Amino acid sequence: MEIMIKRKKNIIPFIILLGISMFYFIPIIMMILGSLKDQTEAIMFNLNLPKNAQWKNYAEVIKRGKILNGYKNSFIITSISTILTIIVGGFAGITISRRNDKLSNGFYYYFIFGLTITLQIASMFSLLKSFNLYGSFISVILIFVAQRMPFTVMTFTSFVKGVPRSLDEAAIVDGCNVFQLYTQILMPILKPIILTNTIVTIISVWNNFNISLFFLNSAKQWTVSLTIYNFYGMFSRDWHLVFTALVLTIIPVVAVYLWLQKYIVSGMTAGAVKG
Amino acid sequence: MLIRREKMFYPAGLIVPALVVFTLFTIVPVLMSLFYSFTDWNIMRMENPEFRGLLNYQRLFSDPIFLRSLGNTLLFAFSTTFLKTVIGLMLAIILIKKVPGNGIFRTLFYLPCVLSTTVVGVLYKAILASNGLLNNGLNSIGLSFLTFDWLSTYATAITSTIFIESWMWAGFNMIIFIAGLQAIPSDYYEAAEMEGAGKVNTFFNITIPLLVPAFTVVITLCITGGLRVFDLIYVLTNGGPGFDTQVMNTFAFRAFGQGLLGESSAASIVLAFVVVTISFILNNKLKSSEVEA
Repeated sequence: MEIMIKRKKNIIPFIILLGISMFYFIPIIMMILGSLKDQTEAIMFNLNLPKNAQWKNYAEVIKRGKILNGYKNSFIITSISTILTIIVGGFAGITISRRNDKLSNGFYYYFIFGLTITLQIASMFSLLKSFNLYGSFISVILIFVAQRMPFTVMTFTSFVKGVPRSLDEAAIVDGCNVFQLYTQILMPILKPIILTNTIVTIISVWNNFNISLFFLNSAKQWTVSLTIYNFYGMFSRDWHLVFTALVLTIIPVVAVYLWLQKYIVSGMTAGAVKG
Repeated sequence: MLIRREKMFYPAGLIVPALVVFTLFTIVPVLMSLFYSFTDWNIMRMENPEFRGLLNYQRLFSDPIFLRSLGNTLLFAFSTTFLKTVIGLMLAIILIKKVPGNGIFRTLFYLPCVLSTTVVGVLYKAILASNGLLNNGLNSIGLSFLTFDWLSTYATAITSTIFIESWMWAGFNMIIFIAGLQAIPSDYYEAAEMEGAGKVNTFFNITIPLLVPAFTVVITLCITGGLRVFDLIYVLTNGGPGFDTQVMNTFAFRAFGQGLLGESSAASIVLAFVVVTISFILNNKLKSSEVEA
C-alpha cells in the first residue's frame, strides 16, 4: 500500500522529466535517422523512418570526408596533451600541497588566477611564430596543457591534502627516493583524481574547436571538430552525409561517456562542491 | 629538523615544468596583448610596431560592431547563466527524489556536455533552418503561423544561441546542484517539519541558503564560460545576420583574420578585463553570503 502511494507521488515528476527528455531525444533521433536516409529524405528534416536504411552513407563519409584522418589527429593531440597534463600538473599539485609553505601557496593562487584568463589570439599567434611552432601539433598541445593547469593543480592539491602524511614518512624512513615517493607511493593512492583529470582533459581536448581553428593551418592536421565543420561547409546540400558525419564524430566520446560516466560526473564537479 | 629533511622529498623543482608551460602559454600572451594593444601592430608590420597610445581602444569604442559585440557577450553570458542555473536547479530538485528512471534521466540530461560544440551547432542548423525540423514540427501540429526563419533576424538568432547553450550545459549544473542538495543534513528538514514550516518556506529558508556554495561554483563557471563564447556563435550564426550576433571573441578573431593584430589584441584585453572584473565581484558577493552548514 505504501509503495503504491509512493509510486503515485512520483508519477507527476516522472511525466515532467519525460517531457523534458524529449528536448534531448529529438535532436539525437533526428541525427541518427537522418544518417540512414537518402539525400531527398534527409533534407525533409523530419522524424520519419528511412524507407531503406542507407548504410552506405557511412562508407561514403569515411571515404570522402577524411573523418579517419581527423580521428587520428585528434587522437595524437588528445593523448599527448592528457599524459603531459597529468604528469606536469599532477607533480606540481602534489608538491604544492605537501610543501605547504608561502612560496608554494603563492604558486597555487597564481595557477588559480589562470581560471579567469582568456585566450589571446593575435599574441599567441605571434608567440608561436617566434618559437617556430605555429601550425604544429606541439603548439596546440602546449596550449592545451597550459589551459588545463589551473584545474589539474587545483584538484590534485586538494586531493593530496586528504592523504595522510604518515604514509610518506614511513616510505621516507624505509629509504625511498623522491622519484619512488611520487610514482610508487603517491600515484597509486591518487588514482581517483588521476582518472578524473584524465577523462576531463580527454573530453575537453577532443571536443575543442577554436584552438585548432586558430593555430593549425593545413587540412592534413584537422582534428575531428574541424573536419566536421569543414565537411558541413562542403556538403551542406547533402544532409544525409552531414548527419552520418555527426554520428561518426560523437561515437567515440559518447562511448567513453557511457562507459566511464561515474568518473566524468565526479570529475566535472570535483572541487566544485567542497568549494 | 624533520620538517627540513622532509621538504627535500618534495623539491620545488617539480613545480617548475607546470609553471613554465602555464606562464608561457597563458600569462605571457596576455602581457604581449596588453603591450601590442597600444601599438599599430598589423600583419604588414609584424616586426616593428609603432606606439600609438590609446588609438586602438578609441577605435574600438567608436566602432558600432565592437559595441554590439560587447553588448551581445554580456547579454549571452547573463541570460545563459540565468537559464542554466534555473533549469539545472529544477532538474536537480526533481531528480533528488526517487523518480523511476532516475539514472537514465541524469545520463541523458548530462549528455550534451560531452558533445563537441561544432556537432551541436551543425545539428541545430538542421533544426532551425527555414525548412528545418522545428518549422516542420510546427506545421504538422497546425501552428504554421509560428514558423520562422529562426537564424535570419537578430532577435531570434541570439535567442536561439542562448537557448542552445543553456540546453547544452543545464545538465552540468544539475549534477553540481544534486551534489549540493545531498550534502544538506536531513535533520534540518526534520526540524523544519516539526516546527510546521511549509514547503515553500523550507525551500527558501533552508535549501537555498545552504546551496550558496553550489551557486557560487555554478554562477562563476557559467558567467566566465559565457563571456568566452566563441564556438557556438561561430558555427551557428558566424556572427550574422550581418554583424548582429558578433561576440567579443568572434570580433577578435575577425580582426585577427584581417591582419589588424593591434586591434584584435585590444579587443582581447577588453574581454580579459571584463572576465576578471566580473569574476572578482561575483566571488566576493557570493562568498560573503555563504553560511556555515
